[in-house]
Amino acid sequence: MSISALLDKYGSLYLQAMLTTWRLTVISFAGAMLIGLIVTVIRVCPIRPLRHLGDFYVQIFRNIPGAAMLILLVYALPYLKLNFPYETCVLIATVMIPSAFCSEHLMSGMNTISPGQIEAARALGFTFFQMILRIVIPQALRSAVLPLTNLLVATMLTTSLASQVPLRPRDLTGIVSYINTRDVGGVAAFAISAALYCFTGLALGRLGGWIDRKVRILR
Amino acid sequence: MTDNNVPVIDVRHADKHFGKLHVLRDISLSVNRGEVVVIIGPSGSGKSTLCRTINRLETIDSGEILIEGVPIPPEGKKLAAMRSRIGMVFQSFNLFAHMTILENVVAAPRSVLRRNKKEAREEALRLLERVGVADQKDKVPAQLSGGQQQRAAIARALAMRPKAMLFDEPTSALDPEMIGEVLTVMTELAADGMTMLIVTHEMNFARRVADRIVFMDEGAIVEENTPKEFFECPRSRRARDFLSSLRDR
Ligand SMILES: Nc1ncnc2c1ncn2[C@@H]1O[C@H](COP(=O)(O)OP(=O)(O)OP(=O)(O)O)[C@@H](O)[C@H]1O
Ligand SMILES: [Mg+2]
Repeated sequence: MSISALLDKYGSLYLQAMLTTWRLTVISFAGAMLIGLIVTVIRVCPIRPLRHLGDFYVQIFRNIPGAAMLILLVYALPYLKLNFPYETCVLIATVMIPSAFCSEHLMSGMNTISPGQIEAARALGFTFFQMILRIVIPQALRSAVLPLTNLLVATMLTTSLASQVPLRPRDLTGIVSYINTRDVGGVAAFAISAALYCFTGLALGRLGGWIDRKVRILR
Repeated sequence: MTDNNVPVIDVRHADKHFGKLHVLRDISLSVNRGEVVVIIGPSGSGKSTLCRTINRLETIDSGEILIEGVPIPPEGKKLAAMRSRIGMVFQSFNLFAHMTILENVVAAPRSVLRRNKKEAREEALRLLERVGVADQKDKVPAQLSGGQQQRAAIARALAMRPKAMLFDEPTSALDPEMIGEVLTVMTELAADGMTMLIVTHEMNFARRVADRIVFMDEGAIVEENTPKEFFECPRSRRARDFLSSLRDR
């Protein structure tokens, strides 16, 4: 089938799939940022065992393949009497893994902060948390906009894990196998999804670049 | 609290090592209310380290340090509270890079002292006016000259209404033409009765502003003297050598 024939027949399904991918991406990235921030604070806190725990978390989730994690979540958790819906399993994987990368980006963002600023904050009487909230996190975030944009795109691509479980509505990758089992969509069916991923990725890249120019810290 | 007989800063027999290096040797030094004490000494003599121990940016191995008669608390909220009342001005300004000048001055009063937003802002503007950088308030630090940044840093410290101010070579990172503007602000502070401990290599300024000169060498206080005597006829041989080495330059 040609691309236009596919779009005629499955256009609304593609649209739905794109919205699903977007939804999964937004939830995953928001979760990854939140957990990434918390883990990062733990990794720089004054309590050494906690710092090690934070590093350990990052090492684990930075090095685990998404598919392996999803299989574990779907097939192993029920043995622990934990029966999560498929979407939850997908989201756990697409939050935890990017959260480790998020933390790494924030850590390198923190390295752009001069030690003198930290000393100045301490000398002014900031407590650890006040300093983290007012000085450290804002600067780390603002220095990490571009890598975090890349992470956002990578997170979107990772949500294609959803195609490996029976999730409804299907995501952009899941929709391709669905169409190809019912019609001879062939490469064209893939191409449409790929184009939609690309379009979204480019748009996000643009957005990230714009935000970076807005918030970049003059040094 | 306002007992004028208790020194604001009181260091008693402080010792400190960095590994094998003995950086502070039995240092005893007190600064009374309204007094301006200037620390002078060759590079590596421990001046910065002494300054930094006073608000516990560095710890000491033995001895004690009292602020208004109260020993410095160990890490925690009490330490933070004590630090908040001792202003510190660094050689490298250390303004917060992501904030405007005004935000820099407002940040600590808001976060640490929980002051009301409007009042904190008004006081910040007054202080920026006083140090002469009010017109720069909406710029970020990187857009200011070194002298302007350092004056803003002084305003930031003053916004905490400190009992005393520590200055660690506040003009050493500045181009010569900007040194004067920072020293002028410091001179005014001294005239207003601020309790100050200043590390500096600006000898004319020291002579003019100091109530007392403390000369350090190799981690020890070698001489404590009035500015007049110190510069005209220092008691110690090492101070004489140090001063003549400066004149030869
Ligand atoms: N964090 C540190 N770890 C190890 N050694 C240090 C540390 N900080 C300072 N030192 C050493 O301690 C000694 C005293 O340093 P300090 O900075 O107090 O000297 P200073 O009198 O301020 O010198 P300058 O005029 O160059 O600023 C120096 O020999 C220095 O190399
Ligand atoms: Mg020094």
